Amino acid sequence: MISGFGGLVVAALFAAFGLVSGLSLSASPAPPQTSASVADIDPHEALGSKTAPVVIEVFSDFQCPACKSLYDATNRQLMDNYVNTGKVYLIHRDFPLPMHAHSKVAAQYSRAAAQIGKFEAVEEVLFQNQDKWEASGDVDGTVAKVLSPAEMTKVRALVKSGAVDAGITKDQAIGNNTYRVNQTPTTVFHANGQTFPYAGVMSWDILKQFLDQLLGGK
Amino acid sequence: MQSSPLNFRRAVMWLGRLILGPVFIYAGYSKAFLPNSHFWPWFFFKFSLSTNIANFAFQVEAFKLLSPGGVQFVAHTLPFTEIILGFLVLIGWRLPIFGTMLAAIMVGFSVVVTRAYLLHMNINCGCFATPQPIDMQKVLEDAGMALLAVSMAAFAIIEARRPHPWTATEASASAPAQR
Repeated sequence: MISGFGGLVVAALFAAFGLVSGLSLSASPAPPQTSASVADIDPHEALGSKTAPVVIEVFSDFQCPACKSLYDATNRQLMDNYVNTGKVYLIHRDFPLPMHAHSKVAAQYSRAAAQIGKFEAVEEVLFQNQDKWEASGDVDGTVAKVLSPAEMTKVRALVKSGAVDAGITKDQAIGNNTYRVNQTPTTVFHANGQTFPYAGVMSWDILKQFLDQLLGGK
Repeated sequence: MQSSPLNFRRAVMWLGRLILGPVFIYAGYSKAFLPNSHFWPWFFFKFSLSTNIANFAFQVEAFKLLSPGGVQFVAHTLPFTEIILGFLVLIGWRLPIFGTMLAAIMVGFSVVVTRAYLLHMNINCGCFATPQPIDMQKVLEDAGMALLAVSMAAFAIIEARRPHPWTATEASASAPAQR
């Protein structure tokens, strides 16, 4: 009996500690309030209407399996149902992780492709063929599948010149300093004057419910 | 034969309860409620819980052992099972039963992690900013906890068959008075 009661007390202390630590984790950093005040948006890597009521920033690494999973599960439906209808302004943020050997190169190519208006096509081909270029390191060959020779020439020039590196560095700084991103994918929702970072994958059904409730103002 | 309150078996049982109980509670809590911990309003809590479970499902799937249905079943049940089992083991209620269940989970996980290590699987990447591979240290930690869990459960079963030292029978209690 005594050991049972003592165990209850200890368990209650652990539960309280856990709840407090969880609540403290839910506190958001200083949030931008609208898309107009979301920092340093590269218009080439943002999709949808700038006046959309919900802004989503996705910190992503092209070599990250979880990012591919999120892209496969949600991107098409998100674009069709929310971005193209003016409900969501979607911002891609590059956050290549140090343990992925080719993710920085992939980010450079996608950013360069964005400069010539081919971001979506390159994003799709990189995620669809992630396991291949991850093993071979052939990001250039993968991107070349969806771009014309003239477009590839421009992309290679942009990558080689380092013109796209500043944007990647800026995205990483935003992730580290503003949102304390420590894993990919991290999706930051801005709605109703508040900011809510979410780490990890999510299914389309759950995301849809969440977006509908955010848009409903509940 | 009456059990001693300070024997080796009871010491291991206490050690197991105090170590494995909180470990399981935290393991289950972290799977279900971390890293996304928005608890209010209600739809935020549901979304947080769903994304955390989805993350855990992703990690379970990476072990390449279960079907998609099996992955979802484990992802949706294991965190809460761990919390409940951890709590029950910590308070020591029905320790032979719940200790055995906890030991079974711990042994299973140790086997799975060892398999992943031997196959050089890059498990639990989760793409954190700091890499979290499965290494020999992790394998040894899990093996150690599995051994503790099995010992705790085995000793709990043995001790359950003996009279508790604080509930001695009248015969043994009155023996000293007859001298």
